Amino acid sequence: MRLHLGGHLNWYDPQKRARLEIPLAAPVPLSALLEQLHVPSAEVAILTINGRLTQLETALVSDTDRVEVYPAIGGGSR
Amino acid sequence: MGYGSTGKLLRVDLTRGAISVETFDESFYRLYPGGKALAAYLLLREIKPGIDPLGPDNVLALINGMITGAPISTATRFTAAARSPLTGAYGESEAGGFWGPELKLAGWEGIIITGRAAQPVYLAIKNDQVEIRDARHLWGQEPEPVQTALRAALGDRLTRVLQIGIGGENTVRYAALINDLRHFNGRSGMGAVMGSKNLKAIAVRGTGKYSDFAHDPQAVAEIGRRIAKRVKEHPQSWDLQEKGTPGLVSGLNAGGILPTRNFHEGAFAGVDKIKWEVYEKELLSARRSCYACAVRCKREVKVDDRYQVSDAYGGPEYETIGGFGPNCGIDDLQAIAKANELCGRYTLDSISTSAVVAFAMECFEHGLITSEQTGGAAWRFGNAAAMLQIVDWIAHRQGIGDLLAEGTRRAAAAIGGDAPYFAMHVKGQELPMHEPRGKVGVGLGYAINEGGADHLTAFHDPMYANPNSITFKAAAELGVTDPLPPRELSPRKAEAYARLENWSSFGKVIGFCYFGPAPRSLIQVEEVVEAVRAASGWDFDKDELLRIGERATNLARVFNAREGLSRKDDTLPDRLFGPLENGALTGVSLSREEFETAMTALYRAKGWDPATARPTPERLEALGIGWAADLMN
Repeated sequence: MRLHLGGHLNWYDPQKRARLEIPLAAPVPLSALLEQLHVPSAEVAILTINGRLTQLETALVSDTDRVEVYPAIGGGSR
Repeated sequence: MGYGSTGKLLRVDLTRGAISVETFDESFYRLYPGGKALAAYLLLREIKPGIDPLGPDNVLALINGMITGAPISTATRFTAAARSPLTGAYGESEAGGFWGPELKLAGWEGIIITGRAAQPVYLAIKNDQVEIRDARHLWGQEPEPVQTALRAALGDRLTRVLQIGIGGENTVRYAALINDLRHFNGRSGMGAVMGSKNLKAIAVRGTGKYSDFAHDPQAVAEIGRRIAKRVKEHPQSWDLQEKGTPGLVSGLNAGGILPTRNFHEGAFAGVDKIKWEVYEKELLSARRSCYACAVRCKREVKVDDRYQVSDAYGGPEYETIGGFGPNCGIDDLQAIAKANELCGRYTLDSISTSAVVAFAMECFEHGLITSEQTGGAAWRFGNAAAMLQIVDWIAHRQGIGDLLAEGTRRAAAAIGGDAPYFAMHVKGQELPMHEPRGKVGVGLGYAINEGGADHLTAFHDPMYANPNSITFKAAAELGVTDPLPPRELSPRKAEAYARLENWSSFGKVIGFCYFGPAPRSLIQVEEVVEAVRAASGWDFDKDELLRIGERATNLARVFNAREGLSRKDDTLPDRLFGPLENGALTGVSLSREEFETAMTALYRAKGWDPATARPTPERLEALGIGWAADLMN
């Protein structure tokens, strides 16, 4: 799974990575993945999976997905 | 022990070639502590209603904020204000950089420029030594050689130069002022006002210290050190330092609020070619800063590839990338950087200029501008060569560029047909690159701002949408009680907007950049209060700071009322009441009914009469400026 932490969200990752590749054996909730990366869900305003807008609360991601998350500043909100 | 001010204004009468000093006392400054507040006060006092903005009766006020020049990150800004030649309304624009602090350290809180010189001149200021000097040899020259020449003339390489290029000389109605070749008073056409006065530049060298004016210099310095240490520890200021505003492009596109093809669409197919990663790889040559600022959000660029772009004029900010990029349908970041460089060399506001280019492209595509008028070129969306040609023609007022130099409102009226529908402006000032259909509070800001559409009037809606976000918590400190969805256009949105507008206005008074205080960045509300207290010695709380901002806005509104502006001018372009195409918000439009209801609520929240859009005498009295009510009669 390819993940882009947009805007200031990569500040939370201890390694400050904006683009990550994460192998996934099975679909997982994106919120749990972001928690592991220390990204607070309250800072996520916009989320797309394969270019489609999605809600964080219900998002499941798989190994082949392209995921982008952005904060309120410079990301807006649906 | 001071109160944060030098207590002195420099008055320059260019018609008579006379220089004088005006002083004020602390009680006056407590009401009008610099920047927007003092500038608006001076404009009301000095400018007669109905004067020609490009004539000798206009007054150009260049005024520092109270905190400007303090050793605190983002405390760098000064206000340029006059009757705007673009809007005919109150005109104002703030710039960071080094010129404002240098003026303060030279002992001046600001400069009031009146009249018109018989031939080009510049102003040379070295502390209290001030001279009006011949600038005939500099007229027509670009900012870079002019800066070099003036530093040599003053014999000091640390001289800071505020100036105009040919855009200002040719009174392009949205010409900017530039300082240090990379910081702009972009909006409202202040460069055209300076050009109309035959004033090429103001070169300043100051050798004083902020501690000479501050109430408690040690406390100010301690606050400055504390904030500087935290820049990398706060996600928002860290992000500004890492990417600067160019980092905004991708997220706005994902949210469907990246203005594209003259606000037709909300997402851009070529976004991956103009995103931050491409900027960093193809353009970036250095990161730069303003005076004493540890945020360091400014980019420097250099290109020697498809285009040659000089590193002299600073890199494109988000507004410029959005404006010349998606909004003109252009996905070549090097071409966008070239357009940005031209705006620096010619001193044009890159927001209005790019909006005029988008307008001209849409007119061409609809046959309202013909290839006979373009020298045979196809001024279609996506044509980078056409974009650069239009910028060039505007600055030189060549061909139809002469009309486009008048701004979209005037150009559309002259072109006729559907052209007014393509003119994306409020009160004559072109829209910045933020989409009101996705951020409705930003739309309220565009509509109500005295100077026309401006993106730094509002705190953008997504900042106060999520109750657990950093930005909402800061907004709550300022009295925003409920989280509100970004697209909720309602009376409660209007009330929250009004509260936050007072805070952004306060920043423009006191000299803080939008990228300093919360909710946009790292300096917490209580720290701002602490900084103001340390600098001034005044026992102000945050409510008093909000009142300072509100007072300034009310003075500007009185200026507009005196010029005959009314509620009908507080509106948005028709296109925004139609559906967005493309992107996450496809089909979304603003409701006129909801907009008008929210505007009525906004006037009430401000203590203004919803019928006339004017401040009530009671509100002005409560703000300590009851005298201003008489000016509207």
